[in-house]
Amino acid sequence: MFDNYVFTKDSCRNFTENGKIAGFEMETLITYYRGIPLSMVNEVRITVDGLPVPAEFIKISADNEQWFTLEEMETVTFYKWEYGEPLHIRAYIEDGLRKGEHDVNLFVSIWPAYYPMPAGGTRTRKVTIA
Amino acid sequence: MSRIKRAVSLYSYQDSYARKRMNLEDMFKEMKDLGAEGVELISDQMIKNSPFPTQESIDNWKNLCSKYDIKGVCNSMFINSTLYRNRRLTAKEQTKLFIDEINCAADLGFDLIRLVSQTLPDVVEPALDIAIKRNVKIGMEIHAGQSFDQPMTEQYCEMMKRVQSPYIGLVFDAGIVCKKHPNVSAEYFLAQGLSPEVRDYIDAIFATGTDFHRYVQKNLGTTEYGKRTKERLPKEAQALIKNPIDLEYMYFAESYENTPFEELDEYMPYLMHIHGKCYEMTEDYEETSIKYKEFIEYLNQHDYDGYIATEYEGNRFVQIDKEVNDKEQVRRHQMMLKKYLGE
Repeated sequence: MFDNYVFTKDSCRNFTENGKIAGFEMETLITYYRGIPLSMVNEVRITVDGLPVPAEFIKISADNEQWFTLEEMETVTFYKWEYGEPLHIRAYIEDGLRKGEHDVNLFVSIWPAYYPMPAGGTRTRKVTIA
Repeated sequence: MSRIKRAVSLYSYQDSYARKRMNLEDMFKEMKDLGAEGVELISDQMIKNSPFPTQESIDNWKNLCSKYDIKGVCNSMFINSTLYRNRRLTAKEQTKLFIDEINCAADLGFDLIRLVSQTLPDVVEPALDIAIKRNVKIGMEIHAGQSFDQPMTEQYCEMMKRVQSPYIGLVFDAGIVCKKHPNVSAEYFLAQGLSPEVRDYIDAIFATGTDFHRYVQKNLGTTEYGKRTKERLPKEAQALIKNPIDLEYMYFAESYENTPFEELDEYMPYLMHIHGKCYEMTEDYEETSIKYKEFIEYLNQHDYDGYIATEYEGNRFVQIDKEVNDKEQVRRHQMMLKKYLGE
């Protein structure tokens, strides 16, 4: 029910760290209707052309400054992913996405307090790297 | 002439807000145009860093209320009991978060908070003194699927009846008086692979004057929220399930109730506020699945003089990449309220 908010259009691109392509990044809106502390994010999964990115290669940030691994995310209770604001997601894959077209899928779910199950959404987008 | 007043819950405009079609002030302008007297907020949705917003955010909210002469009538709050991965917060920890919410609501100028369904009375009662001190009433939401028959709702109502405080009451969501499963939901799930027979099965149960939740309960027993497995559905329902979407649809079908009005009688003295749920408003200002005409007649008979706050939720069922026309749906719902309130 929240698929419409997952994986912001045109947000996927390679990023550089220390002058070198360190991976690719994307943005998404929340799969829920209010802001929550990052510790309540349940799952972030990425696949590229059908292949899953290992969870330990993924980092997220609510403010595009402080980055957390998915394991660290579980203890981040001070910072909120605000409603209507993007979550920044980075996949640390050496040299990033190769030139050409890719099917990139993002799955995000969060654990609201009073739902019996996580609230999630998924979206695949064609991403072209020039 | 009805004594009921019109409000709009900003929940209705969540898609416009998330996609930057409307900011807070745009919503106030629109509500003014609709002649709404009240506004409901979800501070976690549109006030940054809630329940600890900056003074600037608080001032901005209060300024909008006074500039457009629209009263903040209810703040919908949540308790993040799933804050940690390895355990739920204890009742005492939840009370601490609840007190933060009471203070936040009071700072934003509200005298009522909507407590989310499924909150234990042990969380609420210890915060009562602070709620009284800050003049914030507490109304637990009676939402379809999590309504009077659910254990946690029963426990809250027992506490409410025992304590008898004007600060502890209820908020009804109009989804408890549905006459059918919303079309927009059926269409959404059909596009995802719902078997048409499952849709027809649910519709046929509603057509007999009851709802799927009551039907399951009557036929099998447990409909406890969070324990709705395939196995406890009636045999003929199980036989219809061909894919996970069918099961999901049956799960959500219990979120629309056709509560007989007389079942509401004993709770009317505690009613503080109403969510005017809508899924689909037609061009001639009718909600296609909720019994608004009868509901408002019932409320008038019981001298309800609070607000009905439009809560558009059809946004959940808009197909991928199709525009959510929340502004128009809210307008139509307000026009419908005007009609039935005799304005």
